[in-house]
Parts: sequence; structure tokens; C-alpha cells
Amino acid sequence: MTHSLPRLTTGIPGLDPILGGGLVEGASYIVQGQPGAGKTILSNQVAFANVSTGRKVLYVTLLAETHERLFQALGTLSFFDRTKLGSGITYVSVFQILRDQGLSAVVSLIRKEISRQGASLLVFDGLLNARDRADTDLDAKTFVAEIQSQAAFVGCTVLFLASTRAADDSPEHTMVDGVIELHDELSGVRSVRRLQVKKSRGAPALGGFHQFEIGSDGVSVFPRLEAALGRPSTENKPSSSPVPSGVQGLDAVIGGGLTTSSVTLVFGPSGCGKTSLGLSFLNCSTAQEPGLHFGFYETPARLLLKARDIGLELDPLLASGALEMIWTPMTENLLDKLGHNLIDAVKARGVKRLVIDGLGGFERAAVHPPRLVEFFASLSNELRALDVTTIATWELRDLFGPTVSAPGSEVSSLLDNLVMLRQVEVNSRYKKTLSVLKMRDSAFEPVIHEVSIGNNGLRVEVPLQPVTGAATGVAKPLESTASDSVKA
Amino acid sequence: MALIVIAEDEFLIADVLAMMLEDAGYEVASAPHGLGALQLAKEKRPSLVITDFMMPLMTGLELAQAMRADMSLKDIPIILMSGAQGDIGRANPGMFDAVLDKPYQEERLIKAIAALLPQ
Repeated sequence: MTHSLPRLTTGIPGLDPILGGGLVEGASYIVQGQPGAGKTILSNQVAFANVSTGRKVLYVTLLAETHERLFQALGTLSFFDRTKLGSGITYVSVFQILRDQGLSAVVSLIRKEISRQGASLLVFDGLLNARDRADTDLDAKTFVAEIQSQAAFVGCTVLFLASTRAADDSPEHTMVDGVIELHDELSGVRSVRRLQVKKSRGAPALGGFHQFEIGSDGVSVFPRLEAALGRPSTENKPSSSPVPSGVQGLDAVIGGGLTTSSVTLVFGPSGCGKTSLGLSFLNCSTAQEPGLHFGFYETPARLLLKARDIGLELDPLLASGALEMIWTPMTENLLDKLGHNLIDAVKARGVKRLVIDGLGGFERAAVHPPRLVEFFASLSNELRALDVTTIATWELRDLFGPTVSAPGSEVSSLLDNLVMLRQVEVNSRYKKTLSVLKMRDSAFEPVIHEVSIGNNGLRVEVPLQPVTGAATGVAKPLESTASDSVKA
Repeated sequence: MALIVIAEDEFLIADVLAMMLEDAGYEVASAPHGLGALQLAKEKRPSLVITDFMMPLMTGLELAQAMRADMSLKDIPIILMSGAQGDIGRANPGMFDAVLDKPYQEERLIKAIAALLPQ
């Protein structure tokens, strides 16, 4: 039988799961990164999270900014608690001792301090300075080994902070139990912070890069969704009863309603009714089946206006808590932050009706677009497992045209249902139409229908008059078909 | 020339402080922690001790307690210089003759020293 090691929480949102449950108690880690990557904030955040639970922390620095300056900077972050300085957490500098007496004196001092303070976490900031003082690689390794064994002896966890150098093949890496690397890199014109656990002894860590940000609460890490949710967090129990779509006339076309916990992609060019369809769906939200609008385009205020314009009163649903609207401007977003925010919002209220308006907001946030397939796979699997019935929109670039491309063919195949909305020109009149292209596990009418928007949201009307080419938005009367196809 | 012992683990602060005091006409001896400063005080019988609070091996408060408990050192004036623990110092009457908050302000420190040393 396998057993898991006792853990020390990092207190950093998202980091414990990446480390397989937190830092291993009594283990030692190197936290490395370029200056400005966030090492100091991360380690102080871990320190104060543990101080807040009554643990003692020893923070040892070598040649660095003065502690007072450090406190001034940390003072802008919510986790920093000045009243714990000197009681819960002690900052000491050992530079003079290193300079005058060497590495072994530092080891001896740290050993005494750990027991004097009763520290369960030691942060050692300045591993490279210590290495500079070492005469050989073996001395540097010995220094690390001695500190970690002294600490491990009393169950104290150690974070060694180190600035990375080019072509760094640090001998210390072989000694420690884990290596956490912080990156701040340019991607195009923007910069993206990413964290990687390069080594994790005795615990399966989530590999690869994980995006993080530094805000007034310190570091928040967003575990790569497809790694964190490689398998959904709970088991999906599919139910056979369909969910009313809220769109008049649509349920009759799709066999009674949307399959429970299915994901439907509604795609079409701008102005063809995607948002209206989503609002109609959310109009059926109740306290038992709460709804969520997770959008990138319109603000909640604009959505409410739009809903009112088409005869839907969503204000009472918002007021009662049956409906929530989360708007994320389509600016510099982090893909995994979006994914986690969405899932957290769904879990927080037990959301059953979800509209994502639209998937393009995720696509634009992707720094590495090829992973979108895995990202959407894990997101949609999790939503199904949470028993959420989802409508996601996707905007087609061309208002009219012969090519009708679904968003990345692999992405489309991950979704259960495909519904296309288009404006079709027939005899110099534009008609809004709806076509059901795919309904997983359910029969549907393969007929293009006209839709109208008014009074009570979106309404599916009569089948479109017989024409060809409606799917491209440019319809032709039936009689001209034969000669056209010969030309083609 | 009056001798001042400095207890300060942060080398940059200790260096700047020593220069400042030497410029003001004092002789200076520094230690990187409270324990070292206690040794120095015993050896050199300084006219005054300036100490930080958070230091390895012995804090500024522990240094003051040790000096006050030692008949030969108990009358040496002690100034606590601290950013965050000034309140701990003020809450321990009889330990410190003055408590100054970091960051250091040269003028205030020199005034405080002058006030504590016999003219």
C-alpha cells in the first residue's frame, strides 16, 4: 500500500495541487528564477500562510535588499502581517558571518536558529551568494546537504531561493527534493508568468508550465487545466430527461430539448442571434437550476438591456440569485485563469445552465493555441461531470460566403451538439435561420428553420422556403441549381 | 573618544551606521548579532550600545535583558533601532533608553546619542 507524506500547505492558490498536495514536510526545495520572477513574493507568501496557522518561520538572507525595504515592498500585499515580525517570523541576515567565517559557520548558525525559533519553515534567500563563497562544487553541495539535513532532522521544510543564470546546471539540484522554477517571458508583445515544477521527489507533480499572476494578494497559480483535470473531478451520471432550451419552437426540432449536461456549440456570424439564443436559454434559470452567463463581449448592463429589448426580464433572476453574469473583457487574459474562474463560478452556485459567449474569448487568451483542443476537452468534460448543460457560442468571421468552417474540427468533435445560425438572403430579403447539424444521442429535424427575435426571446418559426445554398448565407432559387452545378 | 557598540546583522546597515557614527566623532565596534555584541560590551565597556531587534542567536531584546542583568553592563545606555519591533521595545520599559524606528534618520540618531552620553 502506498502512503502519502505529510504536507505543508504553500497557501498559494493553485500551487498545492501542482505539487501533489503541498510541500513535503521536512523536504527542501529550490525556488529559482530571474530577478523579478516572483521568488521573494512567493516565498514570503508561503511563510506568512504558515505563520497564520501558528507555525514559526525563519527567513535567512545573504546579500540582498535590507529587511526594512523588503517589508516596505511586502506591505503592499494582503498576506503580509507586520505584527508577526519578530514573533511568528524572524528575518536574519547571515552575510557578515558568511564573509568573516565561511559556509560552515553559516550552517552552524542556521542549525542553532532553527531550534531557537522552533521553525517549521526555513527560507534561505541567496543560494548563489553561498555558492560564490564555496571553493568547489562539492563545497556548495555540502552546504546545501548540511542545511537540509539539519532542517530535516527537526522536520523543518526548506526553501532555497536562487536567481537563475544562463546555462545553469547547478550541482545543488541533485541534492534537494524539489525544484520550482518561475519564468516571466514575452509572448509576442505581452509578458506571461509561468511556473514549472522541475523536480518533485516523493510526490507526483503536475508537469509542464502553469500560468500565474502576482496581484495585491500575492501569487495565484492556475494549474494547466488539461493537466489538473485530466480526468473530471467527479463522475458524470448522465440523465435522460432533456433540458428545455428556452427557445420557443426549438425543443420540437431537437427531440424535446437539450440533453442534460451536454455542450452545445451555437455558431454563426455577428448579428444572427447567438447572444439572444443564450439569453433565452438563461431565462429558464431557477433557484434549483441556477444559470451563469460567462461572457467576453457585452457587459452585464448591456446584456440586461438587450434581454429587455427582446422581451426577456432577467433582472428578477439576477436579483434572486438564480442567474449570475460574469463579464471578462477580452484584453490580456490568462487561458487557465479563465477556465478555473468559470469552473469555480459553476461550483460555487451549483450552476446547471451555462452560456459561454463565446469560445473566442478563450482562443484569444491562448499563448500556445495548439493546446486549445486539450483545454476544451478537459473543460467540457468537467462541465458534463458537474451536470451543467452548456451553450457556447462561436463567431464566424464571414457574414456571407461559401465556406462554413466550424471552430477547429477537433474542438467541434468534443462538443455534443452543433447549431448554426445564419442570415440568408432570399429574394432580396434577409432571413435569420437556424440549422441543427449534430445532436449527440438524439434525433433532430434536418431542416433549416427561420427564426425571429422579439417578444419572448428567440423563436424558431417555419422551415425556410426551399432554396439551395442557405447554409452559406447566399441562397438561390431551386430551379437554377442544375445549371450551377454543371458550371462548378 | 566615546565607544559605541553596534549590534546589526544586516551588513549594509551596519556599514553605513558605523561610517555615520565615525563621522560624528565616535569610535565604533560592530557585531553581526546580539551575542557578538554582548561579548564586545563585556570586553570593551562601551559608552553606548545601538541594537537592531531581529538578529540571529540573540535578539536586541535578549541583548538588553542580558546587559541589564549584568552588574557591570546594566548602566550602559541602549538604543533600539527597529522597523517593525519598536513597539515590543517600548512595551519593555527599563530595557531601552531610546527606541527609534527604521529607516535610520541620521539627525535623530545623533541627537539621541548625544542626549544619552555624559557631556
